[in-house]
Amino acid sequence: MRYYIGAEARLRRTIEDAAMSVFESWSYEEVITPSVDYYDLFEQGMGPAEAQRGFRFTDSDGRLLALRPDVTSSVARVAATLLADRPRPLRFCYAAPVFRQQPQSHAEWRRENTQLGCELIGAGGKQADLEVLRLAAEILTRLNLQSSYCITINNVEFFNGVAAELNLDRPAREQFRRLIDTREAAELERFLKHDGRAFSQLTQLTGKRDVIQAARRLIDNARSVAALDSLEELWTEIESLGLQNSFEIDLGDVPNLDYYTGLSLKIFVHGAGASVGRGGRYDGLTGNFGRAEPAVGFVLNLDALTEVVGRRAAKE
Amino acid sequence: MITIAIAKGRMQDDALSLLARAGIRLDADQVNSRRLALEDESGEYRFIFVKPADVPVYVEHGIADCGVVGRDVLLESEADLLLPLDLGIARCRIVVAAADPDVMTRAVGMLRVATKYSQIAAAHFGARGMPVEIISLSGSVELAPALGLSDLIVDLVETGRTLRENGLTVVDEIAESTGRLVVNRASYQLKAEAVARLVNALRSALNGEEPA
Repeated sequence: MRYYIGAEARLRRTIEDAAMSVFESWSYEEVITPSVDYYDLFEQGMGPAEAQRGFRFTDSDGRLLALRPDVTSSVARVAATLLADRPRPLRFCYAAPVFRQQPQSHAEWRRENTQLGCELIGAGGKQADLEVLRLAAEILTRLNLQSSYCITINNVEFFNGVAAELNLDRPAREQFRRLIDTREAAELERFLKHDGRAFSQLTQLTGKRDVIQAARRLIDNARSVAALDSLEELWTEIESLGLQNSFEIDLGDVPNLDYYTGLSLKIFVHGAGASVGRGGRYDGLTGNFGRAEPAVGFVLNLDALTEVVGRRAAKE
Repeated sequence: MITIAIAKGRMQDDALSLLARAGIRLDADQVNSRRLALEDESGEYRFIFVKPADVPVYVEHGIADCGVVGRDVLLESEADLLLPLDLGIARCRIVVAAADPDVMTRAVGMLRVATKYSQIAAAHFGARGMPVEIISLSGSVELAPALGLSDLIVDLVETGRTLRENGLTVVDEIAESTGRLVVNRASYQLKAEAVARLVNALRSALNGEEPA
């Protein structure tokens, strides 16, 4: 529960407007989705584990509703249904609060956060991935954070390839993912026994182009190698835009969400103790609503950005 | 500069001597003073000394970039942190202990468990489908069974002496705990070089190498 009053509210509005005007300049259309919808929608969109963090309640007819825990699910559904016949690609953006239950202990425990987000639907490949990365970079530059942010990129297929190579069942795969995510190199080595040595280094693969070379020396399954190839191509584009100082490849970033299918990204800003944004490619999502097509997007947390920008302004 | 939160108490001395072996030295007089924030001799690191349970809080919020804290505290806090190194210091076990070793098999109905680690205890008994009532205490947990407050305790054991002196025996082991290096997720990316330098220095020290 958070109030914004006077100058703070103005700052928050300025940041929202800056992001929305960048989206607009890239031809992203604003979409406003319902705050309350049937819980099924979010379960289909986010998967049960994430959707369960939503606040749920019943309608007078007994059907289960939820306060939207994300916007992406609604946008994916509308793209697959109402807008099924529109020419592709679709470009959508939004500024909307989402509601989630969080453990009190967490730094990001707030129940309500406003997401500034975009979705590029019906476009696959490197150019689409690059487009959303450039958008994120442009918004952060517009907020005068150009020398203070870091966007980490990964391709979840790299992890999926390794997990398939190790032939892990579902619980073991989840434990493997968690150990990489928290960079527990020693535990990972113990967990994987004889395969341990090589794979435990997966926790340390964070950096620039050299990370890809290091990964190639460790991993040779076709699926992971294809992911490394596409990351390397993307990195070449990032370099040619001169953005390599603001980007990092982090092969240890293995997001919780089952729905990412390719690129995944996290956005960090100096002064914020947790990531201020995340996103990626989720080609499987719209298929849940009857029309499978590639899609990529990201969200920025408006409340976290307001805090960082506000604190920096106060310091100057 | 990198800020490192150190858990006060039993972890602190082990942590500081390991850091010294990694070439990161603190002025002994300053450590013995009551100041809670210090810089090392190189000025590259700032240290803050806080209660163990507060280490994950400072690090998760990014006030400290890194921390040194026991796995017991991490299991209890469920904080979202990176854990790149097991420092192997302050080794101990989290156990279930009782005055009556057969209490678990003999008991009918609900057992009462006194502990400082209510999350760990709830998860442990929950996973076994044992109905228990958790009684949260903040210290001297070993007293609880003798005074009739609980049937069991869940607590940290180093040598087992305190348990024996209070007439308790270990009936189950939940986990082993050692000191861990924890790192804030944002610092890991935004201060990547400095964090990597610290991790590598500590790793070399653990492997018995001289500081670079």
